[in-house]
Amino acid sequence: MAYLSMGEAHRRITDYLSRFCDAVSSQDAATLSALLAISSNFASLQAPADALNVFQDSNQLVNQVERYAQFAEILSPLLRCLQSYRLGRYSDAYVAFEKAANAFLQEFRNWETAWAMEAVYILALEIRLLAEKADRELSSSGKNTEKLQGAGSFLMKIFGALAGKGPKRVGALYVACQLFKVYFKLGTVHLCRSVIRSIETARLFDLDEFPVKDKVTYMYYTGRLEVYNENFTVADQKLTYALMHCSPNKEANKRMILKYLIPVKLSIGILPKQWLLEKYNLMEYNEVVKALKTGDLRLLRRALREHEDRFLRSGVYLVLEKLELQVYQRLMKKIYVLQKQKDPSKAHQLKIETAVKALNWLGMDMDMDEAECIMAILIFKNLTKGYISHKNKVVVLSKQDPFPKLNGKPVSS
Amino acid sequence: MSDSGGMTSKGAEPIAVVDSRSTEIQAVDVAQTHGSLYSSSQPAVQSWSSSTGEQSVPNSSYYYDPQSQVSMSGDAQGMSFTSHASTSSNQVGVNSTQPYSGYAPYSSSTVPYNYNSVGFQNYYYSNHPLGNDSTTQQVEGDQNPGAAYQPLSAFPNSGSYVAPTSYLGTYYNAGDNQTGTGYENNSYNYQTGLWNDANYHNYPQHLYSSYTTSATTVAQSSTTASTNSLYYQQQYNKWPYCYNQAMPAVNGIAGTDNSHAAPSLQSAGYSAVGVGAGYPYSSNQPPPPGTTSWREDSKPPGVSSFQEAATPYNVNKTWEVVPPAMQTPPVNQQSYFNNLLKPTPLPNENQDNQPKVIYSQAPHIQHSSSNHVPEIFQTPQQTAPTTEVRQFSKVQIPTNPRIAPNVGVSLLKTQKESSGTNAPTRPAYVSVSMPKPSDKSSAEDHGKTKGTFPPSLCAYVDRSFARCKDDSQRSANENILKQVIAKATADGTLFTKEWDIEPLFTLPVEQSDQQSGSPWPITKRSPSRRRSRWEPVADENLNDKLTSVDDNATKNTSLGQVEAAEKVAVKNSGSKSVNGSVGYKFLPSQQQSILPKFSQRAMKKPRFSHTLSATENVDHSSDSDKEQNLTKYYASAIALADSPEEKKRRENRVKRFEKGHGNQTDLKISRSKIAAGSGAYTSRTSGLLKPTSYENGQSKAVEDIDWDSLTVKGTCQEIEKRYLRLTSAPEPSTVRPEEILEKALHMVQTSQKSYLYRCDQLKSIRQDLTVQRIQNTLTVKVYETHARLALEAGDLPEYNQCQSQLKRLYAEGIKGCYMEFSAYNLLSIILHSNNKRELLSSMARLSADAKSDKAVKHALSVHSAVSSGNYILFFRLYKEAPNLNTFFMNIYMEKMRFEAMKCMCKSYRPVVPVSYITRALGFSKLTQGEEIEDASIDGYEECEEWLRAHGAVITSSNAELQLDTKASASTLYMPEVEDAVAHGDANLAVDNFLTRTL
Repeated sequence: MAYLSMGEAHRRITDYLSRFCDAVSSQDAATLSALLAISSNFASLQAPADALNVFQDSNQLVNQVERYAQFAEILSPLLRCLQSYRLGRYSDAYVAFEKAANAFLQEFRNWETAWAMEAVYILALEIRLLAEKADRELSSSGKNTEKLQGAGSFLMKIFGALAGKGPKRVGALYVACQLFKVYFKLGTVHLCRSVIRSIETARLFDLDEFPVKDKVTYMYYTGRLEVYNENFTVADQKLTYALMHCSPNKEANKRMILKYLIPVKLSIGILPKQWLLEKYNLMEYNEVVKALKTGDLRLLRRALREHEDRFLRSGVYLVLEKLELQVYQRLMKKIYVLQKQKDPSKAHQLKIETAVKALNWLGMDMDMDEAECIMAILIFKNLTKGYISHKNKVVVLSKQDPFPKLNGKPVSS
Repeated sequence: MSDSGGMTSKGAEPIAVVDSRSTEIQAVDVAQTHGSLYSSSQPAVQSWSSSTGEQSVPNSSYYYDPQSQVSMSGDAQGMSFTSHASTSSNQVGVNSTQPYSGYAPYSSSTVPYNYNSVGFQNYYYSNHPLGNDSTTQQVEGDQNPGAAYQPLSAFPNSGSYVAPTSYLGTYYNAGDNQTGTGYENNSYNYQTGLWNDANYHNYPQHLYSSYTTSATTVAQSSTTASTNSLYYQQQYNKWPYCYNQAMPAVNGIAGTDNSHAAPSLQSAGYSAVGVGAGYPYSSNQPPPPGTTSWREDSKPPGVSSFQEAATPYNVNKTWEVVPPAMQTPPVNQQSYFNNLLKPTPLPNENQDNQPKVIYSQAPHIQHSSSNHVPEIFQTPQQTAPTTEVRQFSKVQIPTNPRIAPNVGVSLLKTQKESSGTNAPTRPAYVSVSMPKPSDKSSAEDHGKTKGTFPPSLCAYVDRSFARCKDDSQRSANENILKQVIAKATADGTLFTKEWDIEPLFTLPVEQSDQQSGSPWPITKRSPSRRRSRWEPVADENLNDKLTSVDDNATKNTSLGQVEAAEKVAVKNSGSKSVNGSVGYKFLPSQQQSILPKFSQRAMKKPRFSHTLSATENVDHSSDSDKEQNLTKYYASAIALADSPEEKKRRENRVKRFEKGHGNQTDLKISRSKIAAGSGAYTSRTSGLLKPTSYENGQSKAVEDIDWDSLTVKGTCQEIEKRYLRLTSAPEPSTVRPEEILEKALHMVQTSQKSYLYRCDQLKSIRQDLTVQRIQNTLTVKVYETHARLALEAGDLPEYNQCQSQLKRLYAEGIKGCYMEFSAYNLLSIILHSNNKRELLSSMARLSADAKSDKAVKHALSVHSAVSSGNYILFFRLYKEAPNLNTFFMNIYMEKMRFEAMKCMCKSYRPVVPVSYITRALGFSKLTQGEEIEDASIDGYEECEEWLRAHGAVITSSNAELQLDTKASASTLYMPEVEDAVAHGDANLAVDNFLTRTL
């Protein structure tokens, strides 16, 4: 670090302080946001941060000038945060930032208009980013990582300040999305419930009044939640909305949405085109799709095995696993089609023995009982129309559409 | 903010100033370094002694004594003392106490009324030049510890109380010290000056003004003193003096605290007495005690003394606490509090040994302190900075339940008072200074020689008095003490001798009983008040709190004292100015505890003008009421020795020590024994604080508490033990050590008794493991055993408890049947909780190793069977389930069968033979591959029964039963479980519960 004179350091800090105060007094949200964006816009804050290392008694500086002192609760910790961040002490930076953010939120509550909404967005973003950094730092030193949790509760505080009537509520969805990010990261997804409830059930908000980008994020997360719940119809709606409204330039975002939308679509019987998987580099689904097309159970199992970690982490593993029945259905349909080609008059009688042969040929170690059981399940789940005659070990298929397509409806349970 | 900011820079300068002026200053500096309070405090003490010598010999000697006591404690009585010493605050307190005593002299030297004004002026001067806030504050903190020591001395006072005349004499001796006190006062001023400079550059003047006003009335003066924490101390000192002085005179005056103080101040003789109390300790604590004690004395002298002694503790604590807050900025204060909290535990331990003696003294101090303190406290509270501290202290309170009660009380009082007096009386500094004097006064009470005696000697005297059962013993004790001290004086070893380690001489009469009895008078006072360590503090009942504090003190339970100290500290901290001081006090836990009481009482006292009432019942406004209470209290205290309950309790306590340290079988209450006992305690309590925390007074946090030292080491040799949920701290005698637990586990494993019995036994084993914090393979074994047993018995709640513990234990790397239990965990999620995300994360956590494990593989297969509804696979897996996986599948079996039935009814036409269903749905006990020769055997009937029970339509053709699927499809239902109960747990059915025997 280049040597900074005391005077220069003083100048830089006072410059920072005065810019902050000017921004507040002139209600310049953009400037204010830039000053608060510790981690996301650190380049522009490097100068005062460097100065803080030279000029130790910054608190005094804040307190001496009345103009700054009125925001001392914000500025003092904010300067500390800047300094800590500059020194790479993210845990300290987080603690200081939370303090500053708390004080800022207090101020924000008292402002009648929502002019500083942008700054609040930055607060919500920064608190999360800093918390993640801090937790990484803490975990590398073997300490408890609870900063993100703290960020979660602080975001909830912001959400509480925004939710409700008034001009500030347009920001609520953004904060809710930050909350979702935290909760998903922490694995405390159940905490999303209360947020969703206050947004959807309480009808405090009309979703249309929110910015589209927030809505897309919101739909993405709530859609993911529905995937967890295996509520595929709703998940499809939400994720499709997110995909449709996602900015066309945001390939990464679209990929993230598709990562969940594809399994959802698969489980309601809609298969993606090959080019889609290629375009968004979602080839891990390729074999799954192939398995569904060919009825080759091996492909599905292999895909699940190969990408197990990825699927487990993204939470689609269980969804993909359930595609197994559709693969069975496809396999039986193949047998049926082959039989039909051979002898149309007897095509609707599918011998269990034949099914066992096919399964064994695919490497599935199954006996009659199990094959019978799978057929029973297919019928039970409406994937096959017909009945089993136990006595004759035959599945009698319906003459009309023995293997109905799902057509966008989930497999009945 | 500015205060905090200025701390560092100011601190440095002030230190220098201090040096130039006197060793006391050095001590202050030391105090400033929070981290090294202990060590620093000791050195400081030495310096003090030198300084005191210069200024006023008597005072200095007093101061010296405190220091010596501290050091001594480390060695001999040491266990207890050491524990005190270990608390940096204590040592610091000693140092500070010296200064305080100086203050006290101040007041004493000048006519009480004048005193205030003079003292204030002095303060002004000193303040301006010194300008060391932090240093003074630290000093205060130190002083508080000193106060704690004083409490010990207070004990002697109690003895003297018994013989009022003798007391007077002792007090007069103190009078000799008065000159010394004058010097001390000077030193005090310096300190206060420092304080003022640091925190209250502006304040000093204000304070002065307030002081002048206060001068009109002694009570007022006290309030003014309170404005500054230092002032408080000063006031305390003054009070002590006053008390001491007043004591003699007070005998008549006793009724009103303030009035007492005033008289004492006015009368030079009194001041002299105060000097005797001289030791800063006595002055701080003593004053209040003095007043109270005096009153008490008039009625039941012995009892009153005891109470006072108890009070001193509180006072000291509060004092200590206050200084820290003052010194450090809010943030620092927090840390201080934390530190204090930690230290407090140790003090408690110490208390166990010493506490008895100390307690007796302490009560005195408390009373007096309460009277004086109230005002003082109020003033300190006024200082805004401390408010934060308060909060902190409150937060901390929860940690030590026992202490908390006391603290809470004191806080409440202080807060109230502070709220009332905050605005005008911020000068709290003055009040701070006072506490030390009180300590000294207590010391005076004990020993006639106290005036110039080292604190350790005072403590020694206290101890000796503490073991006295009755008046005759006390008088005998007094005589012997006189001889001992005279001898020491003649030898010139009075100040060099390590009184803390000095064994107590044997009393002519039954000493053993006496020991326990005398120290514990307070306990008697509130036998029912006993609280578990973890009991929350009830802030609402000030009286209760006070009593609880006393109880704690009497109990000597280190925790209790600590808690009390903490509470006090918290309370003090609650009041802004007071808060700071509280923080300091925290460091010396014992002292802290005293201080809190002190502060509390003090707060109330100003209002009611009755210290005694404050101690007993804050709300008692009428003197007569107070007096009555006091008399009762004293009487009860006196009766302590006689009451069977008390005796039992004492015996138990003794036993505890003995168990802990088998070698200490000497029933004689000789000092050595006490020391040993204390040692045992300290070994436990001292562990509370990590050594570093002592050394670095800064920012000791609750997390720094060394729980190892709190951990119980079981001594129970019984293999069998019924489980009883703990409602209080575990008793080592009922806790089994590890080797016994191992036997117990084996016993349970091989026992043929019912699950309920074995569950009960396992729970008690788990409890013993937990309280001893044993976490090793044995722990894992116990939990694994219990989990398996619970599974076999279908006791899922119990299983879940075990599983969650096992998860944690495995995560810590302790070896066990990890695979088996991860399989259980998976099965539990799949078959019981059915939480998708939990399953995902559990699966994601499985290592490749685990996935190839048989049990885990089985569990994963079960998952796919369940998720796809493959009943054939499910029941095959059921039959080949490893370990106890079957028991989980049992849970799901009914559901699986029913689903399978629904599936069959829909997919099969026209019928399904029951024999097939028997096989498919696992009714058959035969494993796969075995030929079924006779369908009528092996589960066939069971299957039929089950089908009928679930509404299936069964027809028969050719003597073979068949399920009519079409008819059954609409009639299937899930029968209600016969033994189902509304609350869902059949085990909790009333009948079951009533007939449940182990």
